[in-house]
Amino acid sequence: MSVAEKKTRIIEPDTLIGKRIRKMDAPEKASGKTRYIHDINLSGQLHGKILRSERIHALIKSIDVSAARALSGVHVVITAVDVPDQRPIGVARDHFPLKVGRVRSERDEIAAVAAETEEIAEAALKLIKVVYEDLPVISNPEDAIKPGAALIHPEPHGADGSHEHLKQGTTIAHKGKPDNVAMTFDYAHGDVVQGEAESDVVIEDTFRLHYVTHCCMGVSGMIAEFDASGNLLMYSNTQVPFLHKREFAEYLNIDPARIRIIQPPIGGGFGSKLDIYPFEVICLYLARTAKRPVKMLFTREEEFLASPTRQPVLLTLRSGCKKDGTLTFRQVHTLHDNGAYTSWGATTPFVMMQTFSSLYRVPNCDYHTAAVYTNNPYAGSFRGYGNLQATFAIEQHMDMLAEKIGMDPLEFRMKNAQDAGEITGQGMSFKSCGFKDCLTTAAQRSDYSRKVQENKANRDKPGNIKRGIGMASMLHVGGGAKIYPSDGCGTILKMDDFANVTLITGASEIGQGSETVLSQLVCEELGLPISAITVVNNDTAITPWDVGVHASRTTFIAGNSAIGAAKKAKAKILAVAAKKFECAESDLDLRGGFVIKAASGEVVIELSKLLRNLHFQDKAELVMTTFYYEPPSVHQDKGFKGDVSAAYAWGTQVVEVEVDTDTGRVRMTRVTGAHDVGRVLNRLGIEGQIEGGVVMGQGYALTEELLIENGVMQNPNFRDYKLVTAPEIPEMDIAFIESMDGEGPQGAKGVGEAPAICVAAATANAICNATGVRMFELPFTPEKVYRALHGQTPKRYWTPWKAE
Amino acid sequence: MSELKHYFAPTNLDQAVECLKDGDVTILAGGTDLTPQSQAGRVKIKQTLMNIRHVSELAGITLEGDEIRIGALTTITEIMNNALVKQHLPVLVEACDQFASDQIRNAATIGGNICNASPAGDTLIPLLVLDASVELASMPEAELYRHSMPLSTFFIGPGKTRRSLCELVTCVRIPLPPENHVARFHKLGTRPALDISKISIGIAGTLKEGILSNVRVAFGAVAPTPVRAPRTEKALEGQRLDEATIAKVANVAKDEVKPIDDVRASAWYRKEMIHNITRRLLSHVAQT
Ligand SMILES: Cc1cc2nc3c(=O)[nH]c(=O)nc-3n(C[C@H](O)[C@H](O)[C@H](O)COP(=O)(O)OP(=O)(O)OC[C@H]3O[C@@H](n4cnc5c(N)ncnc54)[C@H](O)[C@@H]3O)c2cc1C
Repeated sequence: MSVAEKKTRIIEPDTLIGKRIRKMDAPEKASGKTRYIHDINLSGQLHGKILRSERIHALIKSIDVSAARALSGVHVVITAVDVPDQRPIGVARDHFPLKVGRVRSERDEIAAVAAETEEIAEAALKLIKVVYEDLPVISNPEDAIKPGAALIHPEPHGADGSHEHLKQGTTIAHKGKPDNVAMTFDYAHGDVVQGEAESDVVIEDTFRLHYVTHCCMGVSGMIAEFDASGNLLMYSNTQVPFLHKREFAEYLNIDPARIRIIQPPIGGGFGSKLDIYPFEVICLYLARTAKRPVKMLFTREEEFLASPTRQPVLLTLRSGCKKDGTLTFRQVHTLHDNGAYTSWGATTPFVMMQTFSSLYRVPNCDYHTAAVYTNNPYAGSFRGYGNLQATFAIEQHMDMLAEKIGMDPLEFRMKNAQDAGEITGQGMSFKSCGFKDCLTTAAQRSDYSRKVQENKANRDKPGNIKRGIGMASMLHVGGGAKIYPSDGCGTILKMDDFANVTLITGASEIGQGSETVLSQLVCEELGLPISAITVVNNDTAITPWDVGVHASRTTFIAGNSAIGAAKKAKAKILAVAAKKFECAESDLDLRGGFVIKAASGEVVIELSKLLRNLHFQDKAELVMTTFYYEPPSVHQDKGFKGDVSAAYAWGTQVVEVEVDTDTGRVRMTRVTGAHDVGRVLNRLGIEGQIEGGVVMGQGYALTEELLIENGVMQNPNFRDYKLVTAPEIPEMDIAFIESMDGEGPQGAKGVGEAPAICVAAATANAICNATGVRMFELPFTPEKVYRALHGQTPKRYWTPWKAE
Repeated sequence: MSELKHYFAPTNLDQAVECLKDGDVTILAGGTDLTPQSQAGRVKIKQTLMNIRHVSELAGITLEGDEIRIGALTTITEIMNNALVKQHLPVLVEACDQFASDQIRNAATIGGNICNASPAGDTLIPLLVLDASVELASMPEAELYRHSMPLSTFFIGPGKTRRSLCELVTCVRIPLPPENHVARFHKLGTRPALDISKISIGIAGTLKEGILSNVRVAFGAVAPTPVRAPRTEKALEGQRLDEATIAKVANVAKDEVKPIDDVRASAWYRKEMIHNITRRLLSHVAQT
C-alpha cells in the first residue's frame, strides 16, 4: 500500500502543553478508591507500635519489658539491648533507632512491640516499665552554646565512669560530641567591611522563625516483610526510594540488592519523607525478629510528635545600601535549633545562603550558620528548605532600606534585581530570569505602588480595620540541585501494539502531579492523547534510578528524561515509517495517534497499525527505549560556590491584609503572584501547586505554630495546631511569566517549592504598611499582632555568634 | 483500653433513665466531645455505653406557653435552621453560626454542649444571657422524676456540672424574650471556623429609648465555667448606651474577669479582648 492509496485525512496540529489537564490520580482520590498504605494489609501481618520517652532529657536506668512480652498476642518486644547490631542513623549518624542509655527529646524511641492487633500492641506498651534519671533540659539554642552548657551528646560512659562499648564506633552516636554544635556553614563573597564603609544606610535586626510541621493528610507508615531467603520488601512512603534502599541496607548490614521498595500512593510529602526516621528502621527490626510482615502507622499525635518540623531559626541580618538605592552588603548570622538529632533541617543553609547572596545583586555577602543541639524536636526538610526563613528577613530589610533612603520599595527592588546572563557572587548562572517581569507584573496587577501610599495615608484615620499591602520575591532552584553524586533520573518507555505507552520513570509521585506532567511531555512528543499512557513509578525493582523528589526537580529532571526516551521512540518509529513509505524521516511526524506528513498533516498510517506491522513480522521488533538525564549543573566547591542548578525559578508575591487593631486579627484578603515558571505545562496542575503553596505560606505566616515548652510539645493536635481553613483562603491572582528556559523540558522550570516562600515576608511588609509596626517574629497570630500594636513586644536582639 | 462491656440504645426516656440507675454508664449523644476525649484517654468509657439518639422525647424545638423548649438531642444545625429560634432567639443562631464546621454542627447536640461544660462551650453564653434553665430526668424509684435548675447554677468546673450520674439532661427551656429585647454574641478565635474560643461574650437586655435594662452579660473561656458577670451587668443596668458608659463598662468587664494563660491565649490578651469586644458589642447594641 502506498501513500497515494490512502484516503486523504488531515490531522490538524494540536498541543498538550499549557492545557488544563486533570491529574491522572484525581478520580481515584476524589472517589476514595486510592489505596494508601493504611489500606494495604498483608496476610500474617503484625502491628508495630513504639514506646516513646516520658522524659525530655534523661538517662535510662532500666527497662522492664517482661510483662509486655507475657501479654497474649504479643510476638516481639525489642529495646536497644535486643538489637546489638543497631547502627546510628540520620544525616549526621548521631542517633540509634532504639535509644541507648539516654533519651534526648520527647519523641525518643525506647522500645517497640509487634502484636496481633494495634490494640494489643498499645496495651503492651503500657506494660513496659522504664526507670529514668532526669538530666537538665536545654530547650533554647542560645543556652546550648553558652560555655559550660550541658552536653546533649556527651561521650558515653558506663555506670562506673568507664567508656562504654559504644565508643568503638566513630560516629557521634558512638563517641559523642564535645560541644552542642551539630553543623556550621560559612560563606562569603566580596568584602563586607568594605561594603559597609561604602554604605549610606546600614540596618541590623534579629528575626525569629518558629516551629511548624508538615501536617500531611496521610500519616507516616510502612510495612516491612522479609521473605524466606532474607530479602526485604518494604511498602514505604519515602520520597527517595533509591537512596534509601542503600541506606536501609547499611542499617541492616545486608546487600542493597536484596531490598525492594514499593511506594503506595503517598498522602502528602513536602520533604518530610526525605530522611530515614527511627520508626522505619525499628519496623525492619520487628519484622526481622518476628519473621512476619509488620505494619506500623503513626497516630495523628505521633505524626506531630515524631515527624520532622520546619527549621526554627534565630537570625541577625545586617544590610546596607547607598542613597541611590544600590545594595552594598549583607551580613548574616543564624542559630539553627537542630533539636536533639541532625536531619536535613540542619542543612537548610545551602538554600538560605543562595537567597542572601543571589536573590538581589549584592556585591559583598558574609553568611554564617551554627546548627546546635537542644532537647527539642528535630527539623527536617520542608518545602522551601530554609528559603522561607531567609526571605522573611531579606524582604523585610528591602522595605526598611527603601524607607530609609526614601525610595519606592518596588523601584528599590527593580534596581537591585537580577537579570538573565548574570553570574552571581556564589557562582549561580541565570540563563533564564524573569525576575523583573515578576516584580512589575505582580505590582501592576495588585496596584501595589498606589495602595502602598494610600494605606500609609489611611493609617491614622479612625476605625479598627487597617489595610496593608506588602511585597516579597524569591529565588529558588528550578532545574534540580546537584547535591548527590548524580542529580539524574532514568526512564524506560515501551509501546504496545495498540500504540499505548508505558512510561516507567524513577520519579516518585507524592501528590505533586508528576505523573500527569510527565505523561503530557511524552504524549506531546509521540502525538498521542493523554489517555494513551500508563505510568509506572513506584517500585525499585522496576523503575530506573532517580535521586528522589526534592528541590523542585521532578518536572525538570524527570521531564527531560521522559522526553529523551520519547524522542528515541519517535525516531525509531519515524525511521520505520520512512522506510516503509519510502520518504525521508523529516517529511514525517506523529500526531493524533497517526504517522502524518509533517508539511500537510495528511495521515500516512495509524500508529498502532505501524507498530503491529513492526512487531508481527519475520524480524520482529518492539519500540522500547531508555534514557538517563543528568542536568548540566555542577557541585558546589568547598566555599559553597558553583552553579548547582540547571535553571532557577523566580517569583514575586504581593499580599494584602486587613488588620483588626481591636483584636490583632490579620485577614489575608488577596495574594497576587507572578511566577517565572519557565513555561506552563499543565495549567491546572500549576495553578493547584501555586495555590496550595500560598496557603501553606499563609499558615506559616498567620496561624501555624508547634508550641514547644521545655522540650514538650503543647499542641500535637489539629485543635490547637491551627492550619488555615477554607474561609480564610484569600482571593488569588496568579500570573505566569514564561521565560522559556533553554534547558527546561518544553522550556519549563521547577516550581514546587516556590509559592510557599514569599508569603510570610510579604505579610510582614503588609502589616507594617497597614499599621506602621514591624514584626520580626512569626507567626502573626492575633495575640502577637495585638501585643506588637500595643508596644508589648520587646525587640529581640541576638548578638551574632560564630562557632569556632 | 476501655472497660466497655455493654452497648444500649434505648428508644424512650424511661428506658434511658432506668439504665442510668446503676451509675456506671457513659451517655453518648453526638459523640463530638466523647470520641476525641476518650481516644485521648481524658475520659474513660464506662461499662455501659448508652446511645440516646433514638429517644424521641429528647428531640425537637417547641413553644410551650411562654417558653421555648429545645430538646437535648437537637443538633446545632437544627437550631440554626429552626423558625422559632430564628424569630425569638437570634442570638443563639449567631452563636451556632460560629460553632465548629458544618460536619460537626450536624452531629453536635445542645445537650452535649451543656453536659460537656466547657468554659468555651459556644451555646452556653447565649443560653446564660437568655435565662435558660436545664431540665434533668432520673428514676429514683420506679417513676420518672424531672426537675429544673437555672443554667447559671448548673456549671461547677471544667467538665463538671450539678447533674448527678443517674440524671439525663432532657431539654433546655428559654423564656420568650420580652418586647424590645436585644442580645448579641461574639466569639474570638484565631480563625473563623473550627476554633475554640479564646474568649466569648454575650450581652442581652431590654433596650427602650436608649436605656438598657434587665441586663445580662456572660463571658466564656475566662473562668473555669462559663460565667455571668454581675459587676458588668450592674454597671450597665438602667444606663443610656453613650460612649462614656460604653467605655466605663468595658473597663468594668475587663476588671471583673480573672482568666488564665493557656495554649490558646494569655490572661493579659484575654482581658484586653474582654474590654475591646465588650465595647464593640455595646456599640452594636447602641446602634440597634
Ligand atoms: C472538630 C470539633 C470542633 C468543635 N468546635 C466547637 C465549637 O466551635 N464550639 C463548641 O462549643 N464546641 C465545639 N466542639 C465540641 C462539641 O462539638 C460540642 O461540645 C458538642 O455540642 C457536644 O455535643 P455532642 O452531642 O457531640 O456530645 P457528646 O460527645 O455525645 O457528649 C458530650 C458529653 O455530654 C454527655 N451528654 C451528652 N448528652 C447528654 C444528655 N442528654 N444528658 C447527660 N449527659 C449528656 C456525654 O456523656 C459526654 O460526657 C467541637 C468538637 C470538635 C470535635
